[in-house]
Amino acid sequence: MGVMRLGYAHVRVTDMAEAKDHYANTLGLYETLSEGNKTYYKAWDEWDHHSIVLEEGGVGLVKYGWKVQYSSDIDEIEKKAKAFGVTVERMSKGDNPEIGDGIRFTTPSDHVFEVYHEATCVGTEVGTHNPDAFPRHLVGVGVPALDHSLITAEDPGLMDRFLSDVFGFYATERVQTSLDSDADIIATWMTNSTQIHQLAVLAGPQGKLHHFAFRLGEWSEVGRAADLFSMDDVPIDVGPTRHGITRGQTVYFFDPSGNRNEVFAGGYLAYPDRPMHVWTPEALGKGVFYHSRELNDAFTSVLT
Amino acid sequence: MPTVTIHPTGEVIYLDPEETVLSGLYKAGYAYTVGCRRGGCAICKVDCRSGEFSYNHPVADTVITDAERTDGTCLTCRAVPETDITIELRGENVRLVNRFLHMINDKARQRAEAHAAVTATSGTTHKEQ
Repeated sequence: MGVMRLGYAHVRVTDMAEAKDHYANTLGLYETLSEGNKTYYKAWDEWDHHSIVLEEGGVGLVKYGWKVQYSSDIDEIEKKAKAFGVTVERMSKGDNPEIGDGIRFTTPSDHVFEVYHEATCVGTEVGTHNPDAFPRHLVGVGVPALDHSLITAEDPGLMDRFLSDVFGFYATERVQTSLDSDADIIATWMTNSTQIHQLAVLAGPQGKLHHFAFRLGEWSEVGRAADLFSMDDVPIDVGPTRHGITRGQTVYFFDPSGNRNEVFAGGYLAYPDRPMHVWTPEALGKGVFYHSRELNDAFTSVLT
Repeated sequence: MPTVTIHPTGEVIYLDPEETVLSGLYKAGYAYTVGCRRGGCAICKVDCRSGEFSYNHPVADTVITDAERTDGTCLTCRAVPETDITIELRGENVRLVNRFLHMINDKARQRAEAHAAVTATSGTTHKEQ
């Protein structure tokens, strides 16, 4: 099936002690490794060694890791990326702790992607044998998993083609300048599974991070997360509210270095044959923030 | 007890010790364009025209460049004044969005100024009074 999911997001933080407090104590991630200036985390319902890597020094994105189902998928993606005109390099087992061989390339949007097949399986926090529904002693929000990310690019239409051609993704929703066939794509939400989006791309500067999101089950968990952000003095950007696009329920908030995070619940099931939702500029506010129906200034300007 | 003066309109805002410029302005009822409020997005930069401030956290080089560390650029969400400072916003002015908060801040500033005047004339400290 090729790419299964966004395996890891590797981001920079200005102060590791503050970042660790946020990701471990507010969000409830489990630290799996601390080495040099990097700390590795997994969420409770994830089984691979890590899904978040924090690196001290600076802000913003270092790279994403995408996990594929079969090792042959790596070769397939390498061929397709080269055919698209992208320079691909090989990475070796151990370049990233507990991650196997793979490839690395810079996308047309100037983001670094790694593609890998093997990661050390450490297991979920509830195991696989007669597992309970959730761990009894979750910390803070207790997010179960990394969900998706939104990045910016000067040409979202080009990234839409890149992710389609190289990863086999399809668009579930788009923001376009109009319904005309030659309309410009302003933003695109893409996946290759029933998950409503794995990566979204918004028009903006090259190489920037808008946010990465953690999964939650439903509305009340989103509200509880917002309560915890107030307890821990986490700056809330927007929410709790709903996105018109994806129909997901959300809080946008910032980590202690200013990287935007999200908790995201719901969203409908995606299928490749489902007619794509198209949003046009007059309804963009409602598409992004379904209740305020206004696009705040920060949504398009605040990036790391 | 530093104050922040806004150029060119002349508003004076009173800050608590160790408080950032951004936090002080918002607590005093003013608003302007801000982003992450944690030093990452660079949206809340202003120009510091006089006075001294320092950053209370490490600030990434991609947010404040080497040149900006000496040219008066002030990242308000991380900047704590060390003296009274005067700032000028870039392409906008502060908006007074809450008169009640402004009134509270103004009274706090007047009280601090009156107290400073008393201690200056009597030569005593607050604790000795």
